[in-house]
Order: sequence, then structure tokens, then C-alpha cells
Amino acid sequence: MIDLVIVGAGPAGLGAAISAAEYGLEVCVLDEFVKPGGRLLGQLHEEPDGKWVNGIAEAQKLYYRALQLGVKIKCGVSVYDIAKLESGWCVYTTDQIYETECLLLATGASETPIPVPGWTLPGVMSIGAAQVMGNVHRVKPGEKGIIIGVNVLSVAIARELQLCGVHIESILLPQSSFVSGDSAHPEKMMESLLRLTHLAPSPLIRFGGKWVNPKIGARLYPRNGFKMWGIPIQLRKTALEILGEYQVEGVRIADISATGEVVPGTEKVLSADFVCIAGGLTPMSELASVAGCSFRYIPELGGHIPIHNECMQTNLKGLYVAGNITGVESAKVARAQGTVAGLSVARELHAIKQRADEIIDIAKKEVIDTRRNALIQFQAGIEREREELYDKGNNVFEEKISV
Amino acid sequence: MSGDQTVICRCEEITLKEIKETVERFQCSSREVKLRTRAGMGPCGGRTCRCMIDRLVEQLGGPKISNDVSLSYRPPVRPVSFGILGGEPK
Repeated sequence: MIDLVIVGAGPAGLGAAISAAEYGLEVCVLDEFVKPGGRLLGQLHEEPDGKWVNGIAEAQKLYYRALQLGVKIKCGVSVYDIAKLESGWCVYTTDQIYETECLLLATGASETPIPVPGWTLPGVMSIGAAQVMGNVHRVKPGEKGIIIGVNVLSVAIARELQLCGVHIESILLPQSSFVSGDSAHPEKMMESLLRLTHLAPSPLIRFGGKWVNPKIGARLYPRNGFKMWGIPIQLRKTALEILGEYQVEGVRIADISATGEVVPGTEKVLSADFVCIAGGLTPMSELASVAGCSFRYIPELGGHIPIHNECMQTNLKGLYVAGNITGVESAKVARAQGTVAGLSVARELHAIKQRADEIIDIAKKEVIDTRRNALIQFQAGIEREREELYDKGNNVFEEKISV
Repeated sequence: MSGDQTVICRCEEITLKEIKETVERFQCSSREVKLRTRAGMGPCGGRTCRCMIDRLVEQLGGPKISNDVSLSYRPPVRPVSFGILGGEPK
């Protein structure tokens, strides 16, 4: 029996593997993608101090450190089921069946696309798919793209696509409907965008972000949008339909009011050879659900979250979670959470001989500090929701343990 | 193409119109929508449309999204061959 199996070789999974292996645990990491690194592989951005962050290089560093410590890492392997054993967990994979004392789910998040009329045409993809094509596989998704959905992720990836040599014609909103929810609302999206302004190259926008009230911002928003890195971000335009006979040829768009209604007579067609839909991210909790974890629905963290405490333990013995499965946040937070999870497992298996609680407390504080310093806040209110979750989570945890 | 004809569940080709009509007619939960229309029951296991179905049902006046996961996950959570399920070596 292995000490720890980790599902997901992203920053959380590799972070946990490293901290657990440093205390001598036998660790095996599984990932369904062909390369380790998870969402780190797609990341390329410039920090406010002018330093470039290259996710691929970050992933390499974590990967080699884990290998150095004797961690087994298997890529291209999918976990399709997990089951509780009398002591430990059984992990069913497309490669083999593993038995392990402890199991960490670091499965990350998946995208939630917004169905737009015409979205089943070839050439329409999720924003994350375009990122993987460009940054991981070094293939341009097309020459001229339109991005539907204005949020932190879509603007950041638009910039990456631009660095790949792809022209982004426009980033605009989906049409207001049952399916689009807040993502079609200029004021709400203004609110979301304001959390990104410190990344914008223009000092004016950076300054604007500090004082613009989303309501006023959406109303005063220029009809033709403003540009970030030369890419038009258009909160007052909406995508009505993706057009094309056999593949994407363009998008039918229209102007919208500050509250999201289409202005009659403003329709026109923008040409494009690919379209990205950016709907947001939601924690990938399939395996936690199959295992029988309890959940809490927290929109600020991206959806249904398996209940866990600050040590990253779920309410099931020997089952841990870390990274975006616990709420959508940056890769740095995921990495810090992974470290906590790896240390907690080492403590459960009595591998930390001295000062275990103290060591874990330091790692927990690192998660909070990293969250506070995060460059990109995916949603407002993450910290507040986390505090509430851990208050309640600890209660649930104690109830279950005492039974 | 009108908005109502937009496909929501791509695997089973279930449109927005079919889901809307089902919720309006039966005043039902997302689980019932799934069972009545097969939305979310295709080979991807609802990975693409699950959140959308939950949100649609809530918007159309059905039950609010709660702490319980309404569209349950069942193993295998990834498509696997019968050979792998039967323990055949790769």
C-alpha cells in the first residue's frame, strides 16, 4: 500500500507531493494530461514589477523537485472511480488499481461555457482550449478571433493569444438570456473587470480601477470600448449569434444599454475564423462526490465545494483536497494549499516527528498571505467565504469525527 | 438560428427549447429535467452542460441551487473501455 496517491499534477498536486515526500512518504501523482503542470502550463504574464511569469518553467521546477524526492508521476492516466477501504482508499485508473493510505484530490477546475446560438460550429472553443493550443501545443487556434465573455480569465488569455501572434478582434459580452446570467450584464462585468485593472498597461485604467463605481463605469463606458494591450474590450456590445456554414465565419453583434438590453438598429457582423467562449470556472469535484463528501454551494468560490478544513482534510478519513477543487483561485494559492495538504498527510501518517502542528500552522498562514497578495482575484469575497467555510467546515468535521 | 434552438446538452443534442418546455410543464428539478430529456446523460457525463442545466432550472423558477449536488456523479467519471473495467491489462 502506497502512503499517498494524488490525483492531479498541477501546482496543488505537485506542491503536496513535494512537502509529503520531504517527510519520507511514498507518493504517487496521477494526471490525465500528457504533461505535468496542470493549468500552470497555460500561464504567461507580466507581473507589476515587470517580471514575466512563465508557467511552463514553473511547472518544470516543481516536476523536477518532486522527481528528485522520489515521487512517482504518471501522466496520461485517468482516475475513473475511488472507493473507501477498511483502512485507506482504492483508486481505479485507466492504468492500474492503486491502494493507498491517504488520497489527495487536486483535480482543479473545469470551464463552464455559455451556450450561444451557433456554438456547436467547428472553430468555437472554450477560452481555456485556446490557451492550451497556443501556450502548450504552440498551435494558433486561428488568425483572427472573437472572445465572448468579459472576465479576468478571458482578458488574461486574450493577451496570451496576442503574444502567440493571434489577432483578437474583440472581447464582448454574451447576450442576456436564461443561460448567461450575470455574464451578460455590463455593470456586473465592470465590477469583475475592475479587479484586473492593476494588470493593465495603461496608468489611466489602473488609476480608474481604484475609484470607478461599477454602476457609473458601465453607464459611462465608451460605446466602442477601451483597449488593453490594443485589444478592444467591449462591455456595451453583445454577441447575438456565431455565424458560418461549415465553420466559424463571424459573429453577429449589437450594441447594448448599461443594463444589457439590445439597442435596435445597431446589429452588424464581425468576421473571425475562431471564437472563444469564456464562461468561467467551476471546481472539478466528481471524485469527491463519488467518494461521498459533503458539499457546500458557494458561488464566490465557483460552485459546489467539498467541505474541508484549513488543513485540507475532508469529512472522510484519509481524504484530502487542495487547489481549485476547493475554490477557484490563482496557481500560487493552489501551490500553498498543496503544501498544507502534503504536511497534513505526513502528520496523519506520523511522519513528522517534531512540532507538526507548528509546521502546519506556518504553511496555513502562507496560504492566507498568498491569497491576500494574489495578482488576480477571480471573484470578489473569496477571503470572507473561505473564513465562513472553515468555521462551518470545522464544525461539520468535528461532528463527523465524534460519531 | 433563434436562441431557443441553441443546443444545451451537446452529447444528447437537447435544445434550450426542450429544457424550457420541460421545466414549465412539470415545474421540476434539474434531476427530473435530466431524466425526462436525457440532458447530461451522454458520454461526457454532463461535464459540459451540468452547471447550465442547474442554472436554467433555477432561472425558470425551479428549485434554487442548494448545497446538495442535484445532478449526481456516478462512476466511471471518465469514459473507459470495458476491457479496463474488467481488469484487462493495458
